[in-house]
Amino acid sequence: MKGGFSAPGDYIYFKSQVPLHKIPIGSKQWRYYDFGPKVVPPLICLPGTAGTADVYYKQIMSLSMKGYRVISVDIPRVWNHHEWIQAFEKFLDAIDVHHQKLVDMPNILAASCLPSSILFSFELAGNIVLLLTSISIFDSVGLTPSFLLKRYVLTGIRDGPLEPFIADSVDFVVSQVETLSRDDLASRLSLTVDAASVGPLMLSDSSITIMDTNDFCAIPQQLKDQVTERYPGARQAYLKSGGDFPFLSRPDEVNLHLQLHLRRVGVEAHVPSIPKDDVGGSSSDQNDRRRGTDDAPEDDRTDYSGPSGPTTTSEPPLVPEGQDSGNFENQLLNNAYLSSIIIGECLVPLMLQAILENRQTIAASNAVLNFTCELEMAVERGNNHSSLKIHVVVVKKDDVSETFITHEKSSGV
Amino acid sequence: MPSRRRALLKVIILGDSGYVNKKFSNQYKATIGADFLTKEVQFEDRLFTLQIWDTAGQERFQSLGVAFYRGADCCVLVYDVNVMKSFDNLNNWREEFLIQASPSDPENFPFVVIGNKIDVDGGNSRVVSEKKARAWCASKGNIPYFETSAKEGTNVEDAFQVIAKNALKSGEEEEIYLPDTVDVASSSQQRSTGCEC
Repeated sequence: MKGGFSAPGDYIYFKSQVPLHKIPIGSKQWRYYDFGPKVVPPLICLPGTAGTADVYYKQIMSLSMKGYRVISVDIPRVWNHHEWIQAFEKFLDAIDVHHQKLVDMPNILAASCLPSSILFSFELAGNIVLLLTSISIFDSVGLTPSFLLKRYVLTGIRDGPLEPFIADSVDFVVSQVETLSRDDLASRLSLTVDAASVGPLMLSDSSITIMDTNDFCAIPQQLKDQVTERYPGARQAYLKSGGDFPFLSRPDEVNLHLQLHLRRVGVEAHVPSIPKDDVGGSSSDQNDRRRGTDDAPEDDRTDYSGPSGPTTTSEPPLVPEGQDSGNFENQLLNNAYLSSIIIGECLVPLMLQAILENRQTIAASNAVLNFTCELEMAVERGNNHSSLKIHVVVVKKDDVSETFITHEKSSGV
Repeated sequence: MPSRRRALLKVIILGDSGYVNKKFSNQYKATIGADFLTKEVQFEDRLFTLQIWDTAGQERFQSLGVAFYRGADCCVLVYDVNVMKSFDNLNNWREEFLIQASPSDPENFPFVVIGNKIDVDGGNSRVVSEKKARAWCASKGNIPYFETSAKEGTNVEDAFQVIAKNALKSGEEEEIYLPDTVDVASSSQQRSTGCEC
């Protein structure tokens, strides 16, 4: 990695501006970025199996400059969905996201597939932004040496000549995977193969954005189709190209879609009169914010690197099954199985399941965040893997509780 | 594998009038002001996905930056036949687009012009004649021209067919940029043995 990859300049700048937090919570070590105005409901980015919190640096840079708060986390070392969800809840408590009274309607935003990125935006009940990641399937992870694990994690990423920006995005992700320890890798793969079913989502399709690239990707088309069929009313934000990691290769477009999504679900950017938390802190920020990325040289720099939306690194689906969300059966996700039996031998087992439970929300509105995706794992001859990343972002909001209830009723019938 | 993908065509709608398609406007939330819509269009037995960005003439959309202009396959300029100023501004919108999107071949970039709201007041309040509009279109390289009533959906489908066709034309010419490959592996590897750290 030393020889083949040198960190991009904007990443170096990012590292110099945005503090990396490392804290132990419970028995888990957390590594994350939390940047942008704290008064704004956060967009939480969860990386897929191939990636770290750093893969979303372009989103963190750009969106924070525009007045949004972005949190990007590394998946802690957990071994199943249940553990992952519990750990995540503790994390949210620890960083005080739960305690903002805004909650009740979480907006889940962004899902991404590892190899390709599918961004789902959901409106959830909760204050949190969750990011779910990609999944890969393997026969066994237990004793596999780390170099093999790395290869698994990166399975599906296309070889061969690539457009420069896409090639750079792959290089960056690979360099991030290189930083993972063997245990981290094994944990992710375990999550990936940990089958779980997703309970119903209490979200209206209109609060979901699915982002995908229209060129090649490691995720089978059938699987993608199933995802979109599952959420027929979801906004489909296609990028013409971008490969597997559009948040790195097409940051400005991804960030644009993220902004639109955040607006749609009612998250307003907070533009301080004095740039404070923002990156770049120069006075020109404000102008730039207004004008968007168009001009301002400074912006260009940041924007260029910054604007990509939340990157999702691969994370295992959040929760296994059905935690309390029993009520929401009527919700869209009833059909909780995104099971994909892909024709031929391509069984792509994608099971993404995440259940987010927001305790406060529950207490307050009786609503539970439930997000589950199920991927069916398939093993095609021997060792096969497929991966699907889903990023879910949940944002806390005010006023949401009402909306939330409405959804509940309507879906409940 | 990727061959199954449906062609994706990006269409940008600009103009003072906005809201060409009533389906559009219903999908907007007022707080957003502008957004995109995806629409399936069949053209010559092939299915296409049109990703249509409508600015609704709102300044706020400008704040989104150049990203939404990027990769546009077709630009639709809309004016209100009842408002002279919206017609006068067509040229500004066209130039704005060419600057922002900076297409590789600006002279031949596919535009479509739509005169909207022809149904208002039974056409009595109309101030821009079809003849005048067509003359302007002709002067800009024979831009296809349509008159629609967004409210009643008149001609909207026809317009989208042409939009798809024109967008397709430019979309297919586009090729993925692959730089010539220079193989530096051998030399760099040798070098790396020594001074890498």
